[in-house]
Amino acid sequence: MIGRLRVIVALLLLAVSSAMADSPVRFASVDVYIDTTEPMAAWQLEFSAATGVMQIVGVENGDSEAFDGAPYYDRDAVENGRADRIVVADYSLEEQEELPNGRVRVTTLHLMLSGDEAPEFDTRLIVATSHDGVSINAEISIEISEGSTK
Amino acid sequence: MITISPKWVYRFAAFTLVAGLFAGCAQYSIPDAEPVQEPEPATDSNQGADQRLEEITVTGSREGTWRPANRSSMPGGASMAGFAGESAEGAALPYAGDEEIWVIQKHAATSAVAPTDDPGTGAMVATVDSKEVPLPLQHTGVNAQINGYISTVSVRQEFTNPFDSKIEAVYLFPLPEKAAVSEFLMIIGERKIRGILREKEEAEAIYEAARSQGYRASLMVQHRPNIFEQKVANIEPGKSIDVDIKYFHTLKYNDGWYSFVFPTVVGPRYNPPGHSDPIQAVPRQDTTSQDTAVRYLRPDERSGHDIRIDVSISAGVEIEELRSTHKIVANQADEQSASVQLAAGSTISNRDFVLDFRVAGETMKSDLLTYVDPETQQGYFTMMLYPPEVTDNLERRNMEMVFVIDSSGSMSGTPMAQAKDAMLAALDHLQEGDTFQIIRFSDNASQFGQAPVPATRQNIKRAQRYVANLSGGGGTQMIEGVKAALDFPHDPARLRFVSFLTDGYIGNEAQILGEVQKRIGASRIFSFGVGSSVNRYLMERMAKIGRGAVAYLGPQDSGYEIMDGFFNRISHPALTDVRIDWHGMAVSDVYPSVLPDVFVGRPIVVTGKYLGHASDIRVLGRQGNNDHSVVIENSNDTSSAPQLAKTWARMRIADLADRKTWSAVPYDEIGEEIKATALRYQLMSDYTSFVAVDTSERTEGEYGTTVHQAVPVPDGVRYETTVEKN
Repeated sequence: MIGRLRVIVALLLLAVSSAMADSPVRFASVDVYIDTTEPMAAWQLEFSAATGVMQIVGVENGDSEAFDGAPYYDRDAVENGRADRIVVADYSLEEQEELPNGRVRVTTLHLMLSGDEAPEFDTRLIVATSHDGVSINAEISIEISEGSTK
Repeated sequence: MITISPKWVYRFAAFTLVAGLFAGCAQYSIPDAEPVQEPEPATDSNQGADQRLEEITVTGSREGTWRPANRSSMPGGASMAGFAGESAEGAALPYAGDEEIWVIQKHAATSAVAPTDDPGTGAMVATVDSKEVPLPLQHTGVNAQINGYISTVSVRQEFTNPFDSKIEAVYLFPLPEKAAVSEFLMIIGERKIRGILREKEEAEAIYEAARSQGYRASLMVQHRPNIFEQKVANIEPGKSIDVDIKYFHTLKYNDGWYSFVFPTVVGPRYNPPGHSDPIQAVPRQDTTSQDTAVRYLRPDERSGHDIRIDVSISAGVEIEELRSTHKIVANQADEQSASVQLAAGSTISNRDFVLDFRVAGETMKSDLLTYVDPETQQGYFTMMLYPPEVTDNLERRNMEMVFVIDSSGSMSGTPMAQAKDAMLAALDHLQEGDTFQIIRFSDNASQFGQAPVPATRQNIKRAQRYVANLSGGGGTQMIEGVKAALDFPHDPARLRFVSFLTDGYIGNEAQILGEVQKRIGASRIFSFGVGSSVNRYLMERMAKIGRGAVAYLGPQDSGYEIMDGFFNRISHPALTDVRIDWHGMAVSDVYPSVLPDVFVGRPIVVTGKYLGHASDIRVLGRQGNNDHSVVIENSNDTSSAPQLAKTWARMRIADLADRKTWSAVPYDEIGEEIKATALRYQLMSDYTSFVAVDTSERTEGEYGTTVHQAVPVPDGVRYETTVEKN
């Protein structure tokens, strides 16, 4: 099943700190979660900004040890000046019992935002599969935060 | 033969949907072979004066060499090398050499710097506010997987802040000149953040914005094809940030030996007055020079930075012998595979690590490797032709030899002595019918004769005295040497060879290469890189433009012996006026665009794109006064994987970068082509950089002081004569 979620984060992103108010750009991170009912061995998602100006500045690994490395992104995200959309994916070669089952953070996307318009993000799960390569039911969700000062 | 278990094949098929999308950018990790022994990381040293012959710790071999003892099949532990089609599984051994540069001599296999027994080894100290503290770069880990002739290398740089306030670490470091950097990770604890390849200015702007706002960030920029800069921002006191980079490159090949090189230090470069893009050599304490200056440790200082190198080789054919510039521990998995580690206590970081392995080469004289991109159906190929093994049946040609020797300050001492020995060897081999000239340059240039003189006994004796009186001192105005060597008329009755003997410690490479291109005419250029950390980029580009070759003389090498072998080969060319009949194969974007001559020991390698079917390709040329042709064997191997596409892309970028220095095509237009190619194939270049930002948390306070990582001067180089003073 392909899940789809649109999240409007205008209020959050407008609540910038005073130190950042004068900055031409600001940064935010987006935690991406996938919730499955059976072990997941591979996933692929598309993340984009329907409004506002967004650039991907990092793609981080998630919480599952079965997906040890940082996920991959597609070259379309940077080719021909295309910076407002990214396709991210990862896979695991671990045994089934080692694969995540249930809700798990699969990646954190690091973003640089600019312009006055509040971005509106689209997140679309393209596919999630079992270790046999079979598509499985899954839901996708995200949580957005700005980098907080310690 | 590398094996892939059915499980992996099955899973690979299952994940094609996901992984296939990233055919142009994803690089799958390859597990390391199990080492037979766990060596301690090597430790920096700058004890260049105490040198000794190196010992190689081997398993199942005789002293000084390594030979496989176990003939059984390869253990399954390394079978993942075939995953995603990255290995040359089942392939005949592909050519291992530089596609365009003939390397006729590398550093000798046995030379080393003795480890120090001084207390405190492993703690390079820097004076900051009158305190002695370590520098940020603590460790470099190198893990290389060699499949056939392609090496995939992972490098981890570990930065730690030893100060009591935040810092930005800046480190200027070398990589192989042909390194295609395709992956970049910033690692903070268990968190791994994949960097994004961006246009260079864009990446720098992102990094600066993140740095100024207190976010941890890293940026990797290419300053030369072989010099890179790593910046890591907002490292808090006592905290660490690691950077992982992955690159691949084709190995060099010479006379049956494949050579893996990991350079460790950027050699000091002489920058002529007014040069706009210098890479300065300055003392560690220098705080005024630009970021691209290399900070050097004084001779009595050492770095706590240590290094570990692990190399896993799957040659595809039998490995007959191993050798290295450093003390290594070697182990064989089977006759075609070996794992090698830098031995405990081996010093490394002020000279290049070189690992050579000799392979059985009797059965193959030519080959063709192909790969078809499943998305675009675009084909990529690498074609190779091996030359005859001996010169016995080749005709000697009369020669016009021009020697150009660098007599600047950085050449004083051992490098100058070696260069002199090499020239004396060449003079001994000149024959009646040959002519020669000797040109020296430092701050200026002067020459032995007004024009090339006949190789009479009297002239050779005079030349020997001239050479004996040469000494090192002054700057490196190489441009004067280039002009003097190439500006006089060529004698068409003789093959003209221009031989540069230099460490190449200059910063105006582009200017030099542009002048060489303008003036090259019918000359062939043979570069002799002298010293322990030669400017290989300059040496090899000169040889490429000059359709010649390059040789490297390490501190332990005999200049006389190397020139002796070199001279025999170039005086007996195996094939000149080389061209290729593609036999209906639709070939485009072929590199090199101008094919070099074929000499004994020098293979021809051509890389390009194609459509159609590859068969019955012939290399044509002249051998002596007769036409000659060689049919290229097609191994029908299509398992060489996406590296062939990136190899082609790296070659294209290198060719475009070369053309910038002499082409009539507008500079910006070439730059756009480089940028587009780099982004399309996800490679670092002059126009693209990797940047990674951790936006999850802002660090407190100002972004702190920039700390430049200081490095030792290369082994054999005198700090006093090469590092600029404040």
